[in-house]
Amino acid sequence: MENFKIILPYLKRYKKDVVCAIIAILVSAFSGLYQPKLLENIQKALMANQKQAVLSDGIWLVVLGIIAIISGIFNVYFAAKIAQGVVSDLREDTYAKIQTFSFGNIKKFSAGSLTTRLINDMNQVMNMMMQLFMQMLRLPILIVGSFIFCIVIIPRFWWAPVVMVALIFGFGAYVLRQMNSLFTKFQEMMDQISNQAQETLQGVRVVKSFNQGPQEIKKFDQTSDQLNDYNIVIGYWFSAIIPAFQMIAYTVIALIVYLIGKNITAHPSDIAVVSPFVNYVLTLLFTIMIAGMTLMQFSRANISLGRIREVLETEPDVKFVESGSVAPLSGSVEFDHVSFTYPDGDDPTLKDISFKIKPGQMVGIVGATGAGKSTLAQLIARLYDPTKGEVKIGGQNIKDVTEAALRKTVSFVLQRAVLFSGTIASNLRQGNAQAKLHELQRAANMAQASEFIERYNDSFDHEVEERSANFSGGQKQRLSIARGLIAKAPILILDDSTSALDAESEKKVQQALEHELPDTTTFIIAEKIVSVINADTILVLDDGKLVAQGTHEELLKTSPVYQEIFKTQKGKKGGNE
Amino acid sequence: MSNTKKALRYFAKYLKPYWKGITIVVILSLISSGAQVMAPTYLGRSVTALTTYLVDLKKGTASMNTFYSALWSMFLFYLLSQIAIFIAWMVMSKFNADSTNDMRENLFAKFQRMLVRYFDTHQDGKLLSLFTSDLDNIFNAMNNAIFEIISQGIMFVGTIIVMFTINSTLAWTTIATTPFILIISVLLMKKARVYIDKQQDEIGDLNGYITEQINGEKVIITNGLRQESVDGFKVYNNKVRTALFKGQFYSGILFPLMNGLNLLNLAIVIAMGSWMIISGQISQAIGLGLIVTFVEYSQVYFQPLTQITSIYSMIQLALTGARRLATVEEQKDENEVPNGKVISGLNHGVKLENVHFGYNKDKEILHGVNISVDKGQSVALVGPTGSGKTTIMNLLNRFYDVNSGKVTFDGTDVRDIQLTSLRNNVGIVLQDSVLFTGTVADNIRYGKPNASMDEVISAAKQANIHDFIETLPDGYDTQVSDASSIFSTGQKQLMSIARTILTNPPFLILDEATSNVDTVTEEKIQKAMDTVIAGRTSFVIAHRLKTILNSNKIVVLKDGNVIEEGSHEALLKEKGFYYKLYTDQMAFD
Repeated sequence: MENFKIILPYLKRYKKDVVCAIIAILVSAFSGLYQPKLLENIQKALMANQKQAVLSDGIWLVVLGIIAIISGIFNVYFAAKIAQGVVSDLREDTYAKIQTFSFGNIKKFSAGSLTTRLINDMNQVMNMMMQLFMQMLRLPILIVGSFIFCIVIIPRFWWAPVVMVALIFGFGAYVLRQMNSLFTKFQEMMDQISNQAQETLQGVRVVKSFNQGPQEIKKFDQTSDQLNDYNIVIGYWFSAIIPAFQMIAYTVIALIVYLIGKNITAHPSDIAVVSPFVNYVLTLLFTIMIAGMTLMQFSRANISLGRIREVLETEPDVKFVESGSVAPLSGSVEFDHVSFTYPDGDDPTLKDISFKIKPGQMVGIVGATGAGKSTLAQLIARLYDPTKGEVKIGGQNIKDVTEAALRKTVSFVLQRAVLFSGTIASNLRQGNAQAKLHELQRAANMAQASEFIERYNDSFDHEVEERSANFSGGQKQRLSIARGLIAKAPILILDDSTSALDAESEKKVQQALEHELPDTTTFIIAEKIVSVINADTILVLDDGKLVAQGTHEELLKTSPVYQEIFKTQKGKKGGNE
Repeated sequence: MSNTKKALRYFAKYLKPYWKGITIVVILSLISSGAQVMAPTYLGRSVTALTTYLVDLKKGTASMNTFYSALWSMFLFYLLSQIAIFIAWMVMSKFNADSTNDMRENLFAKFQRMLVRYFDTHQDGKLLSLFTSDLDNIFNAMNNAIFEIISQGIMFVGTIIVMFTINSTLAWTTIATTPFILIISVLLMKKARVYIDKQQDEIGDLNGYITEQINGEKVIITNGLRQESVDGFKVYNNKVRTALFKGQFYSGILFPLMNGLNLLNLAIVIAMGSWMIISGQISQAIGLGLIVTFVEYSQVYFQPLTQITSIYSMIQLALTGARRLATVEEQKDENEVPNGKVISGLNHGVKLENVHFGYNKDKEILHGVNISVDKGQSVALVGPTGSGKTTIMNLLNRFYDVNSGKVTFDGTDVRDIQLTSLRNNVGIVLQDSVLFTGTVADNIRYGKPNASMDEVISAAKQANIHDFIETLPDGYDTQVSDASSIFSTGQKQLMSIARTILTNPPFLILDEATSNVDTVTEEKIQKAMDTVIAGRTSFVIAHRLKTILNSNKIVVLKDGNVIEEGSHEALLKEKGFYYKLYTDQMAFD
C-alpha cells in the first residue's frame, strides 16, 4: 500500500477528471443495475397487457441504452485521460530524477533495468489505473450489495453465502500459493530461454564456424521443454479454478433449493425467493472472480510501483552545490591523498594518490589494465567522489564547485566512443551548443575526422543512425574526440580514446593537440607508452598506487615499473628501433 | 489484410497437428453449452413442481418426487457442464502449451539456419523480443481467446438457429441491426488498431531514446547535458501521452458501446413484437410469450459480440506476434549445399579470385580482390580501418557470399562445398570473442563437445591460458558467462584460440584484438598466435608488427583494393603505402 502513495500527488493534478470519471461510473453502474429491473417491469406489463406501460418502459429502455453508451464512453475517456496523465507525469519525474543520479547510481540500477522501469513498469501502472477507474470502484459495491441481498432475501440460511465465500477464498488462496511457486520457476526458465537465445545471437559467428547449430538447438529444446512443462501445469491449475468456483456456487444453490423444498410446508412463500436468490449468488460469484483478476493486476502494479519508488527515493551519491559561480576554473589539477573504493567493491581502486598539475601541461597516465587509470580520470570529472582525500581544480575542492562550472572546465573523451542518433553536427555540438560551423571544422580537423566527414555530400549534417551503425570504430572515436575539443575546456581528458585509430592518425591527433591547444591541460591515458612519450609529465600507476611521476627520460632511469612496461612494449616491435 | 492472412496461416500451421485436441474441445464446448442451457430449465421445473406440490397438498395427493428429480437433474447438468469445461480446458492448456513450444523451438532452430546478414542487420533486442514478448502474447491469447471464440461461436450460431425455429419474423428483427453493429465495430476496431499501432511505435521511440541516453550517460554527465536530456525526453513522452490516450480510448469504448447497443436492440425487438400483436398477426397470448422469450435470446445473442470485443486487443497483439514470427520463418536459409563436395584437409591453397562484394547492393566494398595463400603459408592482411580486411574474413567461410568472382578451396568454389564440411576445415578466431554459459572446460571444447579433459588442458596450455584457469576457484569447472567479468577481453581471445586449437582446422582465419589489452596479456596472445599459426595455412588480420613479420606474405588493402603485396623487405623497398604505414608506426617508437 505504501507504494500506491506515490501516485496520490499526481492524482490530485487530475481532480476534475477523477470526479467526472467517478460520476460516469456511478451513472453507468446505475444503468447497469436498473436494466434487469426494467426488463422485469416490461415483461410484467406485457403479461398484464398494459400497453401504456410497455410503451413508456420501452422508451425508458432506449434512454437507458443511450445513457449506457454515453456514460460508458465518458468513463473510458476520463479513465484514459487520468491513467495516461498520471503515468506520463510520473514517468517524466522519474526520468528527471534519473538525470540527477551519479554514474555510480545508474550503474547500480543498470541501464536496462532503468529502461524497463520507465516503460514496462509504467505500463503496468497504467493498466491498473484504467482498471481502477473503469472496474474497481464498482466492484466493492456489487460484492457487498449482492452478499447482503443473499442474506436478506432468506435470512434463515445466512450461513450459505458465508460458507460459499469462505470456500472460494480458501480454495483461491491455496491455488494462488501453488501458482506463486510455479510462476517463480516459470520466470526462471523464461530468463534462461532469453539468455540462451541472446548468447547464440551474440555468438552467431562462433556457433556457425564451429558447426554447433544442431548442438545449440538440442540445448535450447531441453530448456524450452522444461518451460513447457511448467506452462502445462499452470494451465491445469487455471483449468480447475473457475469450474471449481462455479461448482461451489451451484452446489450451494442446489442445497438451498433442496432445503427450501424440504421445509416448503412451513414457509410456502419461499417459492418466490428461489429465482432472485440464484441470481444474487451468481452475481456474487462473478463479481468475486472479476475482483480476483483485478487484484492480480493490482499486485503486479504494486511490484511495479515499488520498483519505480526505489528510483524516486534513491539519493544521488554525488551532489553538487546549488549556487555559486558558473564560470570555468583554471586548468590546474591537484590530488591530495586521494583514495577511492567503488561502491560495490571491497578493495580500494586508488590508494593515497597525491600530485599537482600546472595549467597547460600534457600529462600521461600509464599502467597495467586494472591499475586505476580510468578511475583516476573519472574523479577529475567528478563522476564519483573520492572515498578519502580531495580533488582540487583551479585550487578549489571540486565538491565546492557548481556542476555548470565543473562541466565547462573539464572535457572528457571516453574510452568507449558513444554517439547519439542525430547528425554529426548535433553530436559535436553536445560539447558546446553554440559552436559555429568553423569551430566544428577546426575540431574535426584536429581529431582527423574531416577527411571522412568531407566525403559525405551533406558533410556535418550527415545522419548518425541508431547505435551509430553507419560509422566504424575508428570514425566514432574521431567524432568523440572532436566533441571533446569543441568545448575548448581548460582541461581535456583522453581516456584511451585513440585505441581504434591507426598509428598514423593517432600521431596526427597528438600533434594537433600539442600545437593548437598549448594552454589546455591534457590528460592522456594510454596502454602504449609511445602515446605519452612526449608528455610533460607521466603518472605511473601500479595496483592503485602512484609509483612514479616524471618525464619519459626520467622515468626510464628511476622507475622499475615504467622500465618493465617500456621493455615489453619495445620488445614486441620485433627489435626494430 | 494480407498481414492478417499471414498471421492466421501461421496459427493454422501450428494448430494443425493438434486437430484431435481441438475437435475434443469443440465437442466438449457443445456439451457444456447444452448442459448450461438445460440446467436453468430444470431449476424452473423444480419451482413448478414445488408449486404443484403446495396445491396438491390440499388435495392430499402431494409428492415431492418430481421436485427432487428436477433438482437432481439441475445439479447433474451443472456438474456435467463444469466437468466438460474442466476437461476442455485441460486439453486446451496442453495443446496450447505444446504448440507454443513448437513455435519457440522452430524459431530457435530457424535462427540457427539463417544468414549472418540477417543478424548483422537486426538488433539483438528486437529478435529477443520474439521469444519474450511475441510468443508470450500468442500464448496468452490462445489460452484466453480460443475457448472464448469456440464457445461463443457455438452460442452465437445456436441462438440464431433456435430463434429462427421459434419465429422467423422476430428472429430477423433481432439480427437486423447486426450488419450495422458490425460496421460500427469494424470501423472502430480499425481506428483503434491505427492508434494502438501508433502507441506501440511511440513507445518504441521513447524506449530507444531512453536506452540511448542512459547508455551514453557518461557523455551526458561530462558534457553537462542533463537538462537537455530531460527536455528531449519530454518531447517523446508527450507523444506517448497523446498516442496512449487515443489508443486506450478507442479500444476502450467498444465494450460500453456494445452494452448500450444491446439495450437498444431489445427495445427494437419489443417494439416489433408489440406491433405484431397490435396488427393482429399473432394472438396476444402467443405474442407475449414470444416477446419474453426473444428478450432473453436477444441478450444471449449479443453476448458473443460483447465478449469478442473485450478480448479484441489481446487478439490483435497475438496477430501482430504471429505476423512477426511468420516473417522470420520466411527469411532465407543458408545454402548448406547438401550435395556439395566433402573436403578433408587442405592440399594446395585458398584463393580469392577477382572478388567483388558489398553488404548492400548499392555500395561495393571489395572491388575485384585477388589474394592467394599456399598450403602451410601465412598471409597478413594490413590496411587502415574500413579497407575491407574484416569483410574478406566474412567471405572465407561463407558468412557472406561474393557478388561476383569466387573464393576457392583447393581450386573448388566454396559455394560448391558442403557448408558443414567447409566450416569444419576453416577455423576462426574473432576479435570480439564470446563465452557461452557453462564451465571453462565446456567453452574450450565448444567445437568438439566430446573432447577429453586432457585435450582441453593441452589446448589451454598451447593457448597460454592454462595458468590463469588454474588460479580460478574451481579451475576448469568454473562457471562462466559472457557477461561475467572473470575473463578480460584479451583472455577471452586466448580462450577463443584454445577453442580453435582443439578442433585443429587445417585452414585458419585470425583477427587480432586491438585495444584494451595490457602488455602481459598481449605477449601471451602473441605467443599463442605463433603456436596456432605454425604448420597451418592462415589468413591473419594483423595489427601488430611482430605478427606481420612472422607471415610469409603481406597483402596491403586500401579502400577495397589490394594495392601492394609481397614480403616485408620487398614492400619496404617499394616505398609505397606499406612503407608509409610502417614508418609512421615506427615514428612512435
